[in-house]
Amino acid sequence: MKKNFFRKVGFGIGPGELVPDNPISWAQDQVNKVPPLIWDDQIRSGEEMLNHYAEWVYTDREILRKKYKENRHAYREAKNKLRYKVGEKYFENLEICIRQNTALKSKSPVFERLWLFWCNHFAIIDKDAMPQFTTGPYHRETIRKNMCGSFETLLKEATLGWSMIHNLDNSESIGPQSEWGKNRRKRGKLATVNENHARELLELHTVSPSAKYTQQDVVQLSYIMAGWEHKHTKKRKECNPVRFNYKKHEPGNHKVLGKTYKQRGLSPKNKLLDVLKDLAVHPETRRFISFKLCRHFLTDNPTEDMIAPIVSAWEQSDGNLPTIHKALLKVVYDYANREAKFQNPEIWMLQMVHMVGGNWPLQADEMKYNFKIKPNNHQRKPRFFMKEIGYEPYRPIQPNGYSDIESDWISPELLIRRMSAPKEIAQRRIALKNFGLMIDKNFDNAEEIKYLIKDVKSPSTKMELIFPSYRMLKT
Amino acid sequence: MINRRTFLTGSITVTLLGSPLFSALAEKRKKQNLVVISLRGGMDGLSAVPPNDPILEKFRPDILVRKTLPLTSDFSLHPSLKNFHNAWNQGKAAIVHSSNIPYTMRSHFEGQDLMESGGHKPFAEHTGWLGRGMETAGLEGLAIALPMPLILRSKANLDNYFPTKLSTPSPDIMKQVAATYPKDSHLRSTIERVMMRPFSMLSGTGSRKAFRLASTAAKALSKSDGPRVAVFDINGFDTHAAQGGSNGEHADKLYNLDKIFGKLRENLGSTFENTLIVTLTEFGRKVEQNGGNGTEHGYGTAILMMGGLIKKAQVYADWPGLKHRNMFEGQDLNATIDARSIYCSAMATVFDTDFQKLNRHVFWNDQLENLQDKLFRI
Repeated sequence: MKKNFFRKVGFGIGPGELVPDNPISWAQDQVNKVPPLIWDDQIRSGEEMLNHYAEWVYTDREILRKKYKENRHAYREAKNKLRYKVGEKYFENLEICIRQNTALKSKSPVFERLWLFWCNHFAIIDKDAMPQFTTGPYHRETIRKNMCGSFETLLKEATLGWSMIHNLDNSESIGPQSEWGKNRRKRGKLATVNENHARELLELHTVSPSAKYTQQDVVQLSYIMAGWEHKHTKKRKECNPVRFNYKKHEPGNHKVLGKTYKQRGLSPKNKLLDVLKDLAVHPETRRFISFKLCRHFLTDNPTEDMIAPIVSAWEQSDGNLPTIHKALLKVVYDYANREAKFQNPEIWMLQMVHMVGGNWPLQADEMKYNFKIKPNNHQRKPRFFMKEIGYEPYRPIQPNGYSDIESDWISPELLIRRMSAPKEIAQRRIALKNFGLMIDKNFDNAEEIKYLIKDVKSPSTKMELIFPSYRMLKT
Repeated sequence: MINRRTFLTGSITVTLLGSPLFSALAEKRKKQNLVVISLRGGMDGLSAVPPNDPILEKFRPDILVRKTLPLTSDFSLHPSLKNFHNAWNQGKAAIVHSSNIPYTMRSHFEGQDLMESGGHKPFAEHTGWLGRGMETAGLEGLAIALPMPLILRSKANLDNYFPTKLSTPSPDIMKQVAATYPKDSHLRSTIERVMMRPFSMLSGTGSRKAFRLASTAAKALSKSDGPRVAVFDINGFDTHAAQGGSNGEHADKLYNLDKIFGKLRENLGSTFENTLIVTLTEFGRKVEQNGGNGTEHGYGTAILMMGGLIKKAQVYADWPGLKHRNMFEGQDLNATIDARSIYCSAMATVFDTDFQKLNRHVFWNDQLENLQDKLFRI
């Protein structure tokens, strides 16, 4: 039996859980619909979180900075008070709890693994106050909610959502021949497109460099994207909904990857929507993302044979994500005994917690917060712990997100973290009583793992021996 | 001995790498050290090294730096930079002014990405200029950071070291875990590196203050078999409000920087003579103060340099002036020297590697100027 499959596509088998008889249907049945988030309290909407973000930036920039311009100590103190009031030190911790609690307690762990994959595919980097306020909601609302429809919808929602528009600076983009572009030039100011979003849309989100697009394609796509912005206002700064501002849009037809995009109807808005439609079904997009899925779940070096069934599911279903995911799960199962995949720190940690029934993350009652003082040490633990093990879900530093390659995760210090984290989880109390049973349920080579902990009494030491060992790091 | 906790800090990280232990190429050369201090947020070159130009007071009536330390007839130094000034008086410190990386869009995120990658397009490069420079010079070794900062990333295989706050397992447990890793695997060689470390590197307590970190880094650099490159990160130069002049937020940050200069020098001992320290920032700040007695994101700024490898005390600049017509977009100090020319020249000097070779491998053969003979002692 391929027991590692339950870790490859999930978080392993926890105490009290049975090993599914039919692993493939067990996995495939989980990806048809979006399961609920698991959190024993209200979950704030992205809209509400953007309001908190707005209050934070507006109050700091427009009020505190002016009021305390002569007194930096008073300024610092007032800014801290504001931090607590708007939850600047709190919400990121809360979001980590919601994310990880859902992953660990979900009836559909396979769906949750795919969720984490897509969050990282459409990565939002650590910029402005986004990790503190909006990236968690973006993962919940933009990514998660669109995982059971077509890739085209997911792509469209991610591309035109506030988070991506702001993260990749598309609001800064001004078509040189647009109304604003011309006006700015008259006043001697620069008017140009910002290519960031267009480049990442091609390179990272869809076709990848193997489509051999040129710099000209990037520029032309930037022209098409110019005008998709959030307004910048005094009262809310960047925290305004995304809209299409035709006054910044570059007029005319634009050619991307050999196809000319023209305006249909009265507004040139459709040009980008048409491009997204084509990018979503482009053969290189299918190939690239199928490759990435295999690389995340199966091996650093996916072969043509692994990718082919996923590409074909993609073609036949017209980009239906559940169908694509099911094809992936079948491939992962088929190759489960032949390939071992190095797990990134977050997934590895969640597997450990799940397999021992660990008391992590903090629960809703522990995360109750009064928005008056600094969140307590416990409430700041989620960020601390994730930072410590080297994976901050809302803070990748480049738009390609966190790496899926083994060598990027192996360094002395990162390995030390893998050896230190088990004790941290053990100290928080675990439900697991019978390690032997856990090993039987989760490993084909159970004797090898049991040998590791033979004569060991302490559960904490057992964890320190099992979880940083080879079969857990590489699943 | 390096104490693990000593390196831990909230706003400051230290990275050390380039141990010649692992490099046959490096062994043939005299050990010289390069320290890069990243000043994150946009360091105000007009506050650190103000020009002696009365026009500045018109733009900055409330944040003008007074009681400055004398440098040249044209420039003065912020009074917080006392250690730097001492080095200057001994011919061991210099400044490059009105310089910056070729980036003008005023975004921290793009700017910090580019100051580390050395590239032209934000997020287009996945390696850093210092990493590529070490790769070109044939150096590999120890990096002290978690995770690897962009500036150091390259194909070179880097060891790293960064203290954890979690408690680490006993050597015995580590040994048993290590035995599960296949022989000759990357995992196995990595864990063996960890196990060769003295226990003091695996557990301990210590101060996280910037100057303590600097001391520890300097001591490691001063060893003949120690690392040869260190990178510091200091946050908080983004002074939109209450920036102040001789006192204030920006003055505090410069004071921290100066303390690092001082501690580095003190603990490098005689190796200070074979060391070069340079600063790096994403952009300078606007010439005119804003309504909150702070400054907005700008362009040109100053690079502070210190160490025995400095040629002489000088302010090296092609000064553009502060009249509106001289400013970039009518509002910023212009940058007339590509900062990457300085970093490429610094690497050529410290790594004892051909400038053009570095320029080709690190900076895509851009039009960079070899300033080695002007700025550094070769």
